[in-house]
Amino acid sequence: MNEILTQEKSIYIQIREMIENDILRDVLLEEERVPSTNELAKLYAINPATAAKGINLLVDEGILYKKRGIGMFVTTGAKMKIMEKRKESFYDNYVKGLLAEAASLGITKKELVAMIEREK
Amino acid sequence: MSRLTAENIVKTYGNKDVLHGINLELESGKIYGLIGRNGAGKTTLLSILTSQNPATSGTVTFDGRPVWENPAVLEHLCFSRELNQMAGSSANSMKVKEYLSVAETFFPHWDKEMAQRLVRAFDLDVKKRISKLSKGMMSMVTIIVAMASKAEFTFLDEPVAGLDVVARERFYELLVEEFSETGRTFVVSTHIIEEAADVFEEVIIVDRGKILLKENTQELLERSFHVSGHEDAVERTVSGLEVHHEEHIGRSRGVTVLLQPGQRLPENSDVSIQKLSLQKIFVALCGEES
Repeated sequence: MNEILTQEKSIYIQIREMIENDILRDVLLEEERVPSTNELAKLYAINPATAAKGINLLVDEGILYKKRGIGMFVTTGAKMKIMEKRKESFYDNYVKGLLAEAASLGITKKELVAMIEREK
Repeated sequence: MSRLTAENIVKTYGNKDVLHGINLELESGKIYGLIGRNGAGKTTLLSILTSQNPATSGTVTFDGRPVWENPAVLEHLCFSRELNQMAGSSANSMKVKEYLSVAETFFPHWDKEMAQRLVRAFDLDVKKRISKLSKGMMSMVTIIVAMASKAEFTFLDEPVAGLDVVARERFYELLVEEFSETGRTFVVSTHIIEEAADVFEEVIIVDRGKILLKENTQELLERSFHVSGHEDAVERTVSGLEVHHEEHIGRSRGVTVLLQPGQRLPENSDVSIQKLSLQKIFVALCGEES
């Protein structure tokens, strides 16, 4: 939750990703309460509506759930869910860009595979 | 849900038109950012919305009731003006504590405890005369009046002008905290756009006496892009789209694009597509030659 907001992405997307990162890194544990919309809004000096938008995306995906009158909590199995989701978007987020840059530099697939295999 | 509505507001000073037919609706429970270049008409607009200045024509209503000289409505509004050493304002001869006492009689929902807490937090010397304050301290007084007024609709004109970076951050935290707790509506004008962008739920851009745009800040940021590359490739990418602020160097061309609903930038064209900050969007829209 203590990452710094940047201009690169929408704020609510960054709020979502920060909470996901914290779940992946065990900063936030399953069945634990996450900071409220207002707490996040104040911490980052952002509009509470924006913070809520990020939180709500995670609720829609079943990564967080709401306990009435208490707050938002991390769902059991949230960590697995985030990993699955990120695996699915790995091609779009990383491989596509890698291939496009390789193509513009004239790097062949063979060379690319060799580079990956060089990494132990 | 209260609503402050301005219809067809025109303001003329002598033969100079400052506002040309402003239509604006402000809903309760939002933080609005009001941005515009110097002389765009921001302060005039704020003073007309709060009945501190008569419009040449047009009406301002609060839930359908006229605002002009209507105490039943005005108790819901606070316009905390920017203080200025140069202006021959009567405030300048007052001490800070006198100025705050006047504010207390003026705003029926005044929160004295909050005013005192903020005076301490800002480390403000209440025995000093307004005219002797630094620009930053004047801003603090403006902020204290706005916050402690507890008015349902609170308008702040350049509240962070003169504040240092740390004080500005504190102000935005204070604003978000007060907003979260009370749901009061705030309209904040500022020239320091970047650091405020994330606080504003909606942004209102005023340009040469007109409202150029009023939109959810995040949605505006999501539909604005900078496209650059070979001029031919840029042309192919942006043809048919709303384009602003073109720049050329040799064969290279850069433009700002605002997508309309349903529009998208074509993929895989050989151009760089970058997101823009609110400040860059503002410059692209308001920096064009007339």
